[in-house]
Amino acid sequence: MSHGAALAASEPSPYQIPSRKLGIWMFIVADAATFGAMLVAYGYLRVANPDWTRPFVFWPSIANGIVMTFVLLSSSLTMVAATLHAHAGRTAASLRWLGATMLLGTLFAGLHLREWVSMIAEGWRLFKNPLGGSPLVGATFFSITGLHLLHVISGVIVIGVIALGFRRRRFTADHVEITGLYWHFVDLVWMFVFPLVYLLNAR
Amino acid sequence: MKRYVLVWAGLLAIVLAEVLVTFARPATLVLLALLLALAVVEAALGLLYFMHLRYERRILLWSLVPTLVIVFVLMGHFFPDAFRLMHQRAP
Repeated sequence: MSHGAALAASEPSPYQIPSRKLGIWMFIVADAATFGAMLVAYGYLRVANPDWTRPFVFWPSIANGIVMTFVLLSSSLTMVAATLHAHAGRTAASLRWLGATMLLGTLFAGLHLREWVSMIAEGWRLFKNPLGGSPLVGATFFSITGLHLLHVISGVIVIGVIALGFRRRRFTADHVEITGLYWHFVDLVWMFVFPLVYLLNAR
Repeated sequence: MKRYVLVWAGLLAIVLAEVLVTFARPATLVLLALLLALAVVEAALGLLYFMHLRYERRILLWSLVPTLVIVFVLMGHFFPDAFRLMHQRAP
């Protein structure tokens, strides 16, 4: 072992967390910057276009958004329960809560897709605004919510893979916790998407 | 678990407050400021409790959060250009 490698091995980690946990935090920071850039770009376009239209009325759009928010927030709570049970060694209970999280994530994605379908039926497209204002309303809405939806769907798949591995003892409670960090981040992004994209565009 | 249920209830209450504020119809800029402030409180609750940042070593929080804040502030530097574009449009 070289002198440098020996020093690195003897030096305690400044964060005192497993490497994979630090890795997911690095990913979260990078992904937060991506969503931040998209939301800043959306804000820029909204201000620069005086003919910006507000597509959302309370019923059904905002009401649907409130239900979606409730579902996603609840899925964070079930994920916390899954992590706590996993660390306590209660595998069966942890798996049940992971299943509940997947169910809520799928419900969120279903509600979101239903909303997309109804908006597309009204004539909304990436670059088409049926209300006659700036076509960028559709572009920003579909791209921001689409990227978030992609994260939700990926999250549901990842939780499924981790749950299977955890059941077969290939993965540990740390893996469940790290997946939870990703899932809470997806929830956290929605905490900005809902007010800025939906509520700020309510008629 | 009780603590997490309380945080969850608090987050739901903030979402409700956001909706109520929106339909009170304040000026757009005031609404934006209020919604952003409430969203930051939600994010802080999520980070500290659901993501356990409160229970990690402080250096992790101080490495991650200021970095992101600086990135967002730098992004904001482009924003005044949006006002320039708005005023440049033909009537």
